[in-house]
Amino acid sequence: MSRLRATVTAGALAGCVSIFLALVGLTDRFADLYFVGDQASFGRLMLVIAPFTVGAILAKPRVEGGEIRERTAGAAIGIGALAGAVAGLLLGAFAVFVSAFGVERINAVFVNVTPSMLEFITFGQPVVVGALILVAASTVAGAVGLGYRLLPVAVRKPVGSAVITVLVLGFLQRIVPITLDQLDLERNWLYSRSTGGLTWFGAGVVAAGAAGLSIFKQRKGADIRRRLSSRGTDDAGMNPLRAILLLIVFVILLAVPYVTGKVISEVLGTVLVFALLGLGLNIVVGYAGLLDLGYVFFFAVGAYATALLTGATLNTFTGSSPPALSADLNFYLAIPIVMLIAAGAGVLIGAPVLRLRGDYLALVTLGLGEMITVLIASPWLVPVVGGPNGMRGVSDASMFGFGFRDPQHFYYLALAFVLFAMFVSWRLAASRIGRAWTAMREDEQIAEAMGVSTTRFKLLAFAIGGAIGSLGGALFAVKIGSLTPASFNVFVSIQVLGIVILGGLGSLPGVVVGAAVLVGLPGLLREFEEYRLLFYGAALVLVMLLRPEGLIPNIRRSRELHEEDAAQDKWAGELAGDEHAAVGVSPEGESAG
Amino acid sequence: MTTVLEVEGVRKSFGGLAALDGLDFRVEEGEIVSVIGPNGAGKSTVFNVITGLYAPDGGDIRYFGESIVGLRPNQIAKVGIARTFQNVKLFPNMTVLENAMVGQHCRSKAGVFGSVIRSGKVKAEERRIRERAQRALSFFGSRLAGYRQDQAAFALSYANRRRLEMARALSTEPRIMLLDEPTAGMNPRETIELRDHIVRMRDELGLTLIVIEHDMRVVKGVSDRVVACDYGRKIAEGTYDEVASDAKVIEAYLGRQHGEDG
Repeated sequence: MSRLRATVTAGALAGCVSIFLALVGLTDRFADLYFVGDQASFGRLMLVIAPFTVGAILAKPRVEGGEIRERTAGAAIGIGALAGAVAGLLLGAFAVFVSAFGVERINAVFVNVTPSMLEFITFGQPVVVGALILVAASTVAGAVGLGYRLLPVAVRKPVGSAVITVLVLGFLQRIVPITLDQLDLERNWLYSRSTGGLTWFGAGVVAAGAAGLSIFKQRKGADIRRRLSSRGTDDAGMNPLRAILLLIVFVILLAVPYVTGKVISEVLGTVLVFALLGLGLNIVVGYAGLLDLGYVFFFAVGAYATALLTGATLNTFTGSSPPALSADLNFYLAIPIVMLIAAGAGVLIGAPVLRLRGDYLALVTLGLGEMITVLIASPWLVPVVGGPNGMRGVSDASMFGFGFRDPQHFYYLALAFVLFAMFVSWRLAASRIGRAWTAMREDEQIAEAMGVSTTRFKLLAFAIGGAIGSLGGALFAVKIGSLTPASFNVFVSIQVLGIVILGGLGSLPGVVVGAAVLVGLPGLLREFEEYRLLFYGAALVLVMLLRPEGLIPNIRRSRELHEEDAAQDKWAGELAGDEHAAVGVSPEGESAG
Repeated sequence: MTTVLEVEGVRKSFGGLAALDGLDFRVEEGEIVSVIGPNGAGKSTVFNVITGLYAPDGGDIRYFGESIVGLRPNQIAKVGIARTFQNVKLFPNMTVLENAMVGQHCRSKAGVFGSVIRSGKVKAEERRIRERAQRALSFFGSRLAGYRQDQAAFALSYANRRRLEMARALSTEPRIMLLDEPTAGMNPRETIELRDHIVRMRDELGLTLIVIEHDMRVVKGVSDRVVACDYGRKIAEGTYDEVASDAKVIEAYLGRQHGEDG
């Protein structure tokens, strides 16, 4: 009985998700984004993704009274189908309701409910027929979702990776073809000119390739990984295979802007600016454990200091005028000064909040971040930073006449800065300073009792984190060429914190991946632009639920979050008893302890 | 003999409740002094005041004749006073070796630029930190050696956590070590082993020790001198036998009325 109820509840939940997707307009928005052929669009996918997911979740073996209950495949698939049917009924009922109540009346509240949306979710049929089709499709999706999980791993992995690859390539239909064109490669076999999505032939080839790779990985993956990691952890003996891999990655990184073209280079430039900000914040939050919600402060300081030092002028109604304070330095001379200013600002920010911890620190830094946005827009500072009108004419960081404002050039400057920041972070993390930060993050009082000056190391974290963040600001100023206060708001702080958390606190590759996901994806996919916040929220909630240590976790952080598991394993190990000690796992009979 | 630590008339109260009420005692170099007393006698408070976690309300604490009142805990660690805590406090997610290496923090000085460019000097210092931390761990034999050095501290058994806490304190290269109930929660075998460790810290490492301890067999086994406190005051001082037979001490532990609680 409870099983039936759980199934129906799950199905109802899926139905609500489907209705939500339709109400916020995602379904309709993706109606014409085909991933393969001229029927399979992402809009259609939105209709069945929820029942499919719920089916897959219901496939988990049920534990009842401490025992795992096995189901027969038929019964299990029946459950998936039932959940799907419930979801479909809800969505169908929604369609009928919209049609009966009148689209225009609902449209007054839910602007995304339009006749075209109704037509889309009812497959262009009369509404009742459309609703029935929805139920049928949903039922099948639920059953397939569950059936998929019942496949043996050896089959499931290749199938899954084939489907996901097709979906991803279909999703990137504006990017991959451009890249192929840039490389003078034939694209017509893969992408259809009429629908934009993959051709059936292309999808087949890609799916087969992905499945093949997945099978290869299953067979040989462990072996390759072992070869890559052996002796690779210590920088004393560089693994040759690893060195070659690094070299390849480096060459690819250098080739990217000219392979992908201007549009994508532009987005990548933004990603790198945010990666730089993330690297700076990672020192403050990830290493030293100081929650800073006002990181935009350093972004603004870096941008405006760069502008002032490289001879930018104030925007006025009549044209432009020189600021009250300014210098006309070469960009590369200005950068060290900008970093020093930001480090000093970091100490200034850090000093009053030294005694605060956790939530209190977060609140105060949030306030300090707001202050900078008010300050740069205030009439009081108009003669210095231009107030609401901002500044223009920031240096383009020319080096021997080679300017960096062009997106394809800017990419290299940003890449160099990001690599520099990663190098600094990596060296610091592995030093006495990194150790002091970690100790402070784990237990401030004990760290101090063991000889770590927490005052000094907190200020140091703010100073270094601020200096790296200011590089992000400097790059931003170079990229845009002009500054207005509108670019510096609390959303920047949140975005950067999201990047650090999503990637994994304390993890350098994590920051870059986080920036790519949170800044790059919405930038590349125009469909996403207005759903950016929805996407952020969903991404963060999913990460927190499924992978709280972030996408690419720092090893110590992941320990922190799985401490309980480890303690349990240990407990279980102790229960397993003395055999453990007897076979010599612990050399001197730890079971005494 | 030089006096390492002098606690003179130290007072500390929390919201009107006097935890320390004019406590006096002194510790000579190379001594092992036990501090005993019933719960709430102010034993841990005196450690917290000595190591700078609490500021005393009055009185003075002198280390080799110089007052250390008002120094920050990290400065006190640097002058050579190390401690452990009653309820073990490690950096749980750092490895065993890293925990001990944190102890070396106050004996090293690599800065930001040196660490980033990893100069020869910094590399040599880092090597030295590692060696000294390992030496501190090796004080406990093979308990904290080998594969365990790379384990997270939280994965250690309870007894090993206590040992690691002591190793971390040793790693700060102290002249005086304050141990707060080192045998609490340990089984008899481990307690005996730890008693030997305490004596070895003095004999082999030349440390002076103050030990807060409840297990009277340990107190008897290690102490050159015993200081008994109650209500934040010293009520008796002397050898174990003297203190154990002192009427005030018996009263403090057993209460005034005989026959109530054994």
